Formats: sequence, structure tokens, C-alpha cells
Amino acid sequence: MRKCAVVILSAVMTLYVFTVCVYGAERVHGFFEGAYGLKLGDERGEKNSYNMLEGRLQARYTYNPALMEDWDPELFLKGYLLADDYREAVDGKIRELNISFTPLAYVDAKMGRQILTWGTGDLLFVNDLFPKDYVSFFIGRDDEYLKLPSDAVKVSVFLEDTALDIVAIPFFKPNNTIRGDRLSYYDILLGGIEGKKSDHTFSKPPATFKNIEIASRLYRTFGAMEASLYAFKGFYKQPMGIRDAAGGEFYFPGLNVYGFSVRGPLSRGVGGVEVGLYDSSEDRGGRDRLVENSAIKYLAGYTMDLGDNLSIGLQYMLEEMLHYDSYRTGLLEGDFIRDEFRHLMTVRLAKLSMNQTVESGLFVFYSPTDRDIYMRPSVSYSATDDLRVTLGANIFSGRYDYTEFGQMEGNNNIYTRVRYNF
Amino acid sequence: MVTIRIFRYALPLLILLLIPGTTVALTADEIIKKASLVYNYAGDDGVARLKMRIKDRRGRERYREMTMLRKDIEDGGRQYYYVYFHRPADVEKMVFMVWKNIGKDDDRWLYIPAIDLVRRIAARDKRSSFAGSHFTYEDVSGRNPEDDEHTIMKDELLDGRPVYIIKNVPKDKDIVEFSYYVTWIDKGDFLPRKAEYFDKARRLYKVFTVEKIETIQGIPTVVKIRAEDKGRGGETVVEFEDIRYDVGIKKSVFHERYLRRPPRQWIR
Repeated sequence: MRKCAVVILSAVMTLYVFTVCVYGAERVHGFFEGAYGLKLGDERGEKNSYNMLEGRLQARYTYNPALMEDWDPELFLKGYLLADDYREAVDGKIRELNISFTPLAYVDAKMGRQILTWGTGDLLFVNDLFPKDYVSFFIGRDDEYLKLPSDAVKVSVFLEDTALDIVAIPFFKPNNTIRGDRLSYYDILLGGIEGKKSDHTFSKPPATFKNIEIASRLYRTFGAMEASLYAFKGFYKQPMGIRDAAGGEFYFPGLNVYGFSVRGPLSRGVGGVEVGLYDSSEDRGGRDRLVENSAIKYLAGYTMDLGDNLSIGLQYMLEEMLHYDSYRTGLLEGDFIRDEFRHLMTVRLAKLSMNQTVESGLFVFYSPTDRDIYMRPSVSYSATDDLRVTLGANIFSGRYDYTEFGQMEGNNNIYTRVRYNF
Repeated sequence: MVTIRIFRYALPLLILLLIPGTTVALTADEIIKKASLVYNYAGDDGVARLKMRIKDRRGRERYREMTMLRKDIEDGGRQYYYVYFHRPADVEKMVFMVWKNIGKDDDRWLYIPAIDLVRRIAARDKRSSFAGSHFTYEDVSGRNPEDDEHTIMKDELLDGRPVYIIKNVPKDKDIVEFSYYVTWIDKGDFLPRKAEYFDKARRLYKVFTVEKIETIQGIPTVVKIRAEDKGRGGETVVEFEDIRYDVGIKKSVFHERYLRRPPRQWIR
């Protein structure tokens, strides 16, 4: 392990010195980060005393080539080297590599690997069907890593106060979901909370023309109010279908989502509403017990500035399973029965102190119907402009083993991260 | 340009001479209103690079660098601000946008490039610190003259220049942290030269000093200002560079499109 770390560190230093020398320090930015997460939960994972021990060098580089200047092209690269002790591996990954340009005065385009985000939710997503990394989120990595990049083409058209975004994603990328290796979860095939014993296959849809995912958003501003319409054609990002229960094969069924959102100033804060109809295209009638049912997700959110650098954000989400009677009829003996409605609330408290160098926050998910809770307290301190230390925890609790956060009870952790920005 | 300036100064003088027996004395309200126009609404739009050095009470320094775009919708009224961060490295490419409103809360947006997120920020509190500095949001975009009662305390010389000294008492005491503040306003160019803020116990706690003024495109412009925290210690010095007025920034720049893709025409 020690030899490995030395090799990595020298490789990282060489790369850093090289990039700075070649491109100039002004244009290359990024950070070194060390992160450690102490596991407080069960012993079902591959390693049981911790679930994060890693060093990361992340660098980004922006380049504006002096050609076709009318199009104002911009090349952006962000990559990282991750020395991950948990997985006993060193990975080099390109997080973003894309080119943005403006072919017409009213059109922007971005091609390549990119992070895509839209919608009004705060850590809750209704019409944002872009891939997420929940493992990173639950073990205490930076919030940035909740979003996974997509290899995509995004074209935006702007007319007065109205704009249209169309995103085409030719290569399907699922969420990074919990599969028992690092985090334990309720394995529906094994019927209990499992860790490394859980061993299933997850079949992705093949990369064919027909399988290209399309996400679109039409939005308009009415003064300070923003209204959006969304449409998505693609696949569930979670493995919501079982192809072969005996063989333990999951897959990502087809999904269409249609929705809207409205967001704007409301009373003393900012309010928003977002709704999405999830059309489970392979099980429209809801009779197939192996494929997720269609659903409607309703989300309402409100944030308020309480003064003194303290803000609060509240959200309420209601998920309604459609064709519930068919779902109940289709169940077999021994299947656990899900509720027709799932209610979920979130609270975010954020406080800045000491000249805004200390950021304290608490984010809580609570479901009264699932009777489970997930708390994310954190404190971070910027010792200098370049050095930031973060301390936080991920605490789960629930009455039942099979609910979203209840199944996570064995994964409680306390983590710390030290980041040096350059 | 020169003829215009002659008229600007000559005309009031002429009127003064033509009306015998009247002395044209500006009221405190008029002075503050004029100062606000000169200080916050110069030109129809403007762009500048801000360099901010923040020192805490223990002398530790932090450094912020940003490009600020401004567009006035009406003089003395609504304005749009777009602030693009260059430094520190961890907030590089972050954009903060404000639609400054009169008589209701501002609208604020924050763009976080790492996750391509456009966030709406609830903006009740204009008196909180801007980017961790000793300037509040209101110090950056300007306090509405209507929010205070103004009285002239006296006329005086400051560094050899005649100034008005004006006391400003907030109409709504509950939403601000000061009980009153005093501003020194130059009688020539109407730019503020100094301001002193007094807390609820009427103790001096914050001093703003204009340290450098330059004439840019014919407009006298504050290019260096210092804010000192007299209560807890610490200070912030802001320097404005590459200031340009009336560059033709379109209203459409202050929308989501340019949060995700900053207008490189002005931001390099």
C-alpha cells in the first residue's frame, strides 16, 4: 500500500508540474484531496472499518482556440486521478471533455462529455433524468460527485424570453447505485439486507439508434418567474426491472417522462413546484410485477433567507404509483407490498459564519410513510483561499429494512475531507 | 464633449445669476439622490474587473477577483448585475446574478459550474456580506435613497475639497444592523468620499474610505475603496480595473443562457 501511494503521488506531481509548465498556471486549475470515511454500521461490505479512503487529483483546463471566432468555440477538459484504497485501484477518469460553440446568434451547442442538470429540486429530482452517483453521495464525497457526466450533444435555441434545450444521449449511462460492494442494501431477490453476498448482473440497453435518449426542456421567463416544460424518452436510471429472477439479472426498462415546473419569488423567499409523469413504457398497465409501475411525482419547494447568513429550504415530494390495483393483483406470495403513495420531506439549513469561511449545513430527508430518515450534517472551514477542511456524516434510520433510507441503516458514516485548490 | 461640459456647469450658474436674491441650496434628499446616480448608475451600462483583498482581524488575507457587468433599466431604478468569479480557484467560473428591484426583494441567481446548476437564492437580507468581504450586497449595488431619512449635518472640507456631510437614518430600523450612517459627499462631482456606520449602541463600527478616483470616459469613477471593520477588526480593499462604460451590454445577457455560457466578449 505504501509503495503504491508513493508511485501515485509522484505520478500526480509529475502530471501537475507538466500541465502547469506546458499550459501555464493561469489556465489549469483543480485540487488535491484526501478523504476518509469511518464506517459506523454493519459488517456486510467488502471492508468493514471504513467506506472511503482515497486521494484525488482533479484538474481542469479551458481552451479558447483562435479559429472560427464567430462561433466562439471553447474546449473544456476536467479529469481526475483517484487512488482509491477501498477498491485497491487507481483510476484516471475524464469527467468532462466537451466543446461549446455558438453557430448562430440564437443557438448554443455543447458536444461531448458533460454534466447536465435542470429542474427545481434540491437533491430531489423529478424531470432531471441525467445520471447520478448515489454511492459517492452516501459515503461522503463532495456534492459535485452526485452528478455523473453524460456523453451527449446539447443544442439550445433562444428566442426572446423563450428557450429550448434538446439533449441527445447516444450511450446509456445508469446511476451508480448501491450493489452491496461498498454499501449494504435491501436485496429484493435475497429478501434481506445484504452486502458483498449480493451478486447480480445489470444489463444495459444496447447502444443502438433506437435507444438514443432524448431529454428536452422548453422554458420561459415571465419577469422573475421561470416556467418550464420537460419531455424525456429513454430508460430508468435505476435497475427497475428484473429480467431473470433466478439468475439475478436486473435491467433498465424504458421510460418516458413528461413534466413541468414553475419557480420564482414568493412572499419572502423563492418558491417552486415541479411535476413529472413517469410513463413506464414496458409496463403501462402495471400488471408486470418485475417492472416498475408508472408514477407521478409532485414536488414543492420553498427557500428563505432568515438573515444573519442563515437560510432554510423546505421541500415536499409526493410519489404516486399508478395502476396500483394491477400492481397488487400481480404480486406473488412473499413479495413485499409497496404503498401507493410515498411522502417525502426535506429540510436544508445552511449557515455561514466567521466572514463566511465556515459553512455549516444540515440536510434531512424524512418520509412519514416509509418511516425512515436520512441526515447529512456537515461543517467545512476554509483555512485559506486554497485549503478547505470538511467534516460530515451520513446517518440513516428506518423502521423497515426495505425502505429507501431504512435499508441503509448499516451504512452510517462520519467522513472528513481535506482539499487543496490550485 | 467639452461644450457639453461647459453647458452642464454653466447653465445652473447662469440660472443662478438670472434669478436675483435666490440661493440654490440642495436639500439632503437631492444630494443623496444625485450621489446615488453618480455612484451607482454611471453610464447606461458598465463593465469592470474587481480585485478584492479581504483581511480578517488576525491579519489573514483572502483574495477575490471577479468581472462585474451592470446594466441600468432606469436611472435610479432597476438594474441588472452579473458577477463572474475568476478567483479563488474553487469558485472559478461561478456566476452570481442580481436583478436589483426597487420596493421589493431583489432576484438572485447563482450558477455552479461543477454541477451545471442554476440556483435561485432567496434574497431577503441585503445586509449580509458579499463574498465574505466587509462589503454587504447593498454596499455593492447601492442602497436605495428612499430607505433612509437624510439630513445635512454641515459643510466641511475633506482633504481640501468641499463636501456635504449627511446623516442617514433608516426608515425601517429592524432590517438593518446600523442605527444611522454619515456620508461625506463631494460638492463638485457628488461622489461619496467617506461613510461611517454606527451600530445600535451608536458606536462607530464601519468606515468606508474612497482612496482613488479616476475620470473614465468623462465620468468621475471610484477605483479604490476601503472598508474597515472598527468593531471586530479587519478590512477589505476593492480595486476596480478595466472600467468601461456604455459598452452596449444587452438585457438578454442577464438570463440563464449566459450563466451557463458567460459572454466572452466581456469576460476573459
